[in-house]
Amino acid sequence: MDTAVQIVVSGLTLGAMYAVGTIGLSLVWGALRMLNMAHGVLIAIGGYFSYQAIDGWGLPMPVALLVAMLAGAAMGALIYFCAARFMFRNEAFENNIFIVTFGLAIALENGILKVFGGYPLAQPFSLDGGFRIGGVYVPWQNVLIVVVSVAVMVVMAQFLAKTRMGRAIRATAQNRDAALLMGVPIGAVFAQVLAIAGSLAALSGVLLSSITTLSPQVGFDPMLKAFIICVIAGLGNVIGALYAAFAMGLFEAAIQFFLGVRFALPLMLLIVIAALIWRPYGVFGKKQVTRL
Amino acid sequence: MAEALLELENIVAGYHNQPVLKGVSLDVAEGSVVMVIGPNGHGKTTLLRCVSGLVSLSSGGIRLAGTRIDGKRADRIVSDGVIHIPQSDLPFQDMSVIDNLMMGAYLTRARADIRRNIEEVFDLLPRLAERRGQTASTLSGGERRMLAIGRGLMAGGRILLVDEPSLGLAPIVIEQIYGILTDLKANGRTILLVEESAARATEIADRVHLLDDGRMIWSGMPADLLKRPEILETYLGG
Repeated sequence: MDTAVQIVVSGLTLGAMYAVGTIGLSLVWGALRMLNMAHGVLIAIGGYFSYQAIDGWGLPMPVALLVAMLAGAAMGALIYFCAARFMFRNEAFENNIFIVTFGLAIALENGILKVFGGYPLAQPFSLDGGFRIGGVYVPWQNVLIVVVSVAVMVVMAQFLAKTRMGRAIRATAQNRDAALLMGVPIGAVFAQVLAIAGSLAALSGVLLSSITTLSPQVGFDPMLKAFIICVIAGLGNVIGALYAAFAMGLFEAAIQFFLGVRFALPLMLLIVIAALIWRPYGVFGKKQVTRL
Repeated sequence: MAEALLELENIVAGYHNQPVLKGVSLDVAEGSVVMVIGPNGHGKTTLLRCVSGLVSLSSGGIRLAGTRIDGKRADRIVSDGVIHIPQSDLPFQDMSVIDNLMMGAYLTRARADIRRNIEEVFDLLPRLAERRGQTASTLSGGERRMLAIGRGLMAGGRILLVDEPSLGLAPIVIEQIYGILTDLKANGRTILLVEESAARATEIADRVHLLDDGRMIWSGMPADLLKRPEILETYLGG
């Protein structure tokens, strides 16, 4: 019983962090057909801004979280204004932006290295203490991670479903030309999507570094897992990505417990290969079928 | 004769440096229905895509109420009042009927009367009212076409560009769609309509243009077209 509780607690914590990190990546692919290779460094930027806001500027934790998310949003918007907006009408956009964001990620990672150094830092955005479920100790930090993640996902779901901007993002993702013909300014939508994705990546960086450590490469592993989750869910399928994130979190926790930490990533990659063979449009994706 | 709301002046446009339209001119008077007919692949869809800003002109000009709109971004042309209902990829597939209609009212101008406009669209297209909560991908071809028209009407606008509304539909559905277009004409809407067939020209159009290989080769009243069997035979299969 304790084993099951331990796996569920760890799995939900991992799943919540992966979900927040993956929504942004999935939104960006859905709306722009853009694989954002700078996603990992946006995760790191969130972690470092939170660190700086609390330890450097003495701000309280909730404000630090907001600062980190604003920094991520600003970086996302910068990616649009400095790169994507000059390219997205080009037929080779998907390849070009992949290379550009890859280069940007290297530059920003080195910038972080220059400012903060390469030594791992402790993320001050954390709660002490915890409680017990049977024989399993559950840190409050894990509860905080799940609560913040779920709250953000609920807000995002409402935003996408109910607001004018959310509808415009969904419309653009489904049919760019048709959205244009409704008067949707596509460029502004792309900037908004990248800013939202940046803020979510930054939030995920704060949460992730609070249970690991902060280093310039902290975002690489979660970015890889976010790609895995996106492929399993079906690229651009935001709701599917949420389910897949929690499923992958639980799967990873179980593998870590029963087989060891080193087996988690290879087995996740095996699932991706299986998904690409048997359901290339994703577990939650749909084949394109048109009624006549 | 009412003043021209939309004027195309000798426009040349195409894709990858291959011209599709080779100097097309036409006027659409306020409150009239102008129909462009012609064989498939001869530039009818490109003509509408030029007006709505999805295809750039190589030369020539397009004016709406006397103001140049060519070269503007497509979303700005929509806010000027040009509403384009394309022939395919019509609704946003994963959205409900009501969300699709709300997207039609995306512009600030259209949002002011959103409730009233939705009721008007449902009065005109009662099938959509029955399907209001249904996802667009589950609609039939005819219902999707109706949704595209309803979404266009939600945007308000000064002129409707309608691309082959009868394409791929059963005769009974075509009858319904043309009934809707006739109602819109009776309400004073300005419409630029393109079709492959001339069959409907006499019942709805005020003026007809025949587009062949990117050039207007005949223009006139619909009744005059019927007096030219050689044109109907050569270009439209009789």
